[in-house]
Amino acid sequence: MSDDKTKYYSSPKNESGRKVRSQLFAIVCLIISSLAVVILITLLATIIVKGKKTLINDTAAVAESTDSASDDPDAQAKGPINWNFLSGVHKENNPEESGIGQAIIGSALICFLCALVAIPVGVGTAIFLEEFQPRNKILRWIHGLVQLNISNLAGVPSIVYGILGLTAFVYLFNVLPSIKVEPTPIPWEVGADHWYQTRTLGRSIVRFRAGDRTETPILLEKNEICIDGDGNEFELKIVDKRGDAPADKELRKGYALKGRRASMIKENYPWYFRLPFGKSLLSAALTLALVILPIVIISSQEAIRGVPRSIREAAFGMGATRWQVVRKTVLPAATPGIMTGAILSMSRAIGEAAPVIAVMGSVLGTTRGVESLMSQTPVLPVTIYRWAGDENPGFENASSAAIIVLLIVLLIMNSVAILIRNRFEKKLS
Amino acid sequence: MSSTSTSTSGSGERPSYPVKSSAKSLRNQAIMVSLLVGCALITLLTTVGIIYMLIVESSGFFSGENIDLWTFLTGTEWSVGRTQGDTFDYGIWPLLSGTLRITVIAMALALPLGLITAIYLSEYAPKGVRAILKPTLEIIAGIPTVVLGFFAVKFITPNLLAPLGEIAQLGENFRTFNAAAAGIAVGILCIPLVASLAEDALRAVPRSLREGAYGLGSTKLETTIKVIVPAALSGIVSAFLLAVARAIGETMVVALAAGSSPNFTADPRLPSQTMTGFIVHTFKSESVVPGTVGYHSIYAVAAVLFLITFVITLVGQIVRMRYREVYN
Repeated sequence: MSDDKTKYYSSPKNESGRKVRSQLFAIVCLIISSLAVVILITLLATIIVKGKKTLINDTAAVAESTDSASDDPDAQAKGPINWNFLSGVHKENNPEESGIGQAIIGSALICFLCALVAIPVGVGTAIFLEEFQPRNKILRWIHGLVQLNISNLAGVPSIVYGILGLTAFVYLFNVLPSIKVEPTPIPWEVGADHWYQTRTLGRSIVRFRAGDRTETPILLEKNEICIDGDGNEFELKIVDKRGDAPADKELRKGYALKGRRASMIKENYPWYFRLPFGKSLLSAALTLALVILPIVIISSQEAIRGVPRSIREAAFGMGATRWQVVRKTVLPAATPGIMTGAILSMSRAIGEAAPVIAVMGSVLGTTRGVESLMSQTPVLPVTIYRWAGDENPGFENASSAAIIVLLIVLLIMNSVAILIRNRFEKKLS
Repeated sequence: MSSTSTSTSGSGERPSYPVKSSAKSLRNQAIMVSLLVGCALITLLTTVGIIYMLIVESSGFFSGENIDLWTFLTGTEWSVGRTQGDTFDYGIWPLLSGTLRITVIAMALALPLGLITAIYLSEYAPKGVRAILKPTLEIIAGIPTVVLGFFAVKFITPNLLAPLGEIAQLGENFRTFNAAAAGIAVGILCIPLVASLAEDALRAVPRSLREGAYGLGSTKLETTIKVIVPAALSGIVSAFLLAVARAIGETMVVALAAGSSPNFTADPRLPSQTMTGFIVHTFKSESVVPGTVGYHSIYAVAAVLFLITFVITLVGQIVRMRYREVYN
């Protein structure tokens, strides 16, 4: 150390040694810093090597062996990209035929809904924080608290938001009866028809409206107004013995045996809605909205702060109220910045898996796809997670193919954000 | 109330000569302001909701039979959701130690690398290198964590750690799922965070300090190490703390790469379940039925997780605010 100290008072002898050390340090820094580039390249290479087989049709192999080409004429006809993978659904133990069609739709829908909630709320909060500095004591207290709170919310792990979503949206804090109670009661809902489905003596399947009945299954007791497979309405007659019904097979379709079981089925309209939301698309979207809300707020605040003061003052000079100033001058000027921040936070939302697993479960595929806001749906990150952890090693490649798709989507979103930023940024300065 | 307060609030900045807003526009403003306050309240409600839910539901866990807080906080066995029947161990230390192990590994990677990258970017990097390095860091920061988890389990463990373990002739090689791979992946995703926050702190050091050091004959290295880094120390510390909070809360990487057996050990070769990993694995197994012990235990673990990250984030914010005061 003492030796070091003398070097400080720069005797020309040591000058070169110190300079060399400084140079060396710069080189070491460069090497260590470029590790980030190495990591990124390794990561992308790993994923592309594993994923490209699934994502891209091996045209060379198809051309080589005419047998496989005749087996699968689609592969050649549809060009280099494997559309079956992009449009298919998950198949248990069959990685070759599994696809991410539902996951792409699910991710897009959830991202859209999430934006619909998070952007207005986030921008509103940012405007409140930046443009309305209240004098009223209570409002000022709220103001300070909100500002402090946002930076803390940004540090909350996303899985905690997931648990919040589960509690608040899926179970509604257990205020309404939920799956806690057995047997399952019907939650408050609109847009769904409940039917009982049963079989007639003519071996046809018919159904009748459930009305107020909620128990499932029920046993047939009285005549019901039924709808058959073709949509015709008729009265189903209940008989005690098989012999009581007419012998003709067509006529027997109007009769059913007393005590036969009828199980409940539910038909949802696209506007089907229930409370609590349950494990659904909507719950997931709202939860993700909470996750990205702090990011939207912070980036919107920065965009609003970037609007020059002179613009506001000019508007005030014209006699505008504060809200008019915000709506007519500040917001239009800040829109590119807000949009950029919003898109970047959307790309965060589309890659989040943990909150979605907490809220919606780790769904890989549904039989009917998305019917309403209350449907469950797979999303890309959850699909990647499940496939990566699947015991069947074939899913490893499918998983990396899904990662490639996700990364391409993110790349597009980020490019759009950067494009908006570069195109509109300079206007005001 | 809000209308009067906000319409007067602008008067300080508004010119005093008689320009008057119409009654209608003032009423519109009042409506909009209450909407904006409503938006702002949502963020407050979120925090209140988190705290309320954690307290209420985890109290459901501790009100269960044979469960006391002390065993939860000090026990070294965890078997909630892994055993059938009523008897199970519920000491959080296996999960907590898993989180700590992975955080330590991650920070051992991310803090030095992030800091050196920040120093290089702020003090040394020529324009060309910066134009590559900055976007690279931004891309890494934008990669979904589940992708990094995939990278950890499919590349870091088989292609990096397993050969290393063989060369080092360890008694037992790295398992398929291990703490080291997860730690490295979490470290990778923390590097951009540390680098960008620390770089901001370094850049905020006034030019005059640098010029003073150069004027005294310091080399660039001496200026950086002895003047600039100490001057930016609070900002760097705050960056470190935020990275630690991020690593503790990281979920998908550990869920994929660290395995699902809670171990109370320090061995990075063994699988280790973290607090976040436990939560995700419980949700994934779909055994979460409200009212059961498994369901309530999620909240108890989440409460510990939330408390730790909240405190660290808060300390990080406070440290950063202090540093802001120094130079403004």
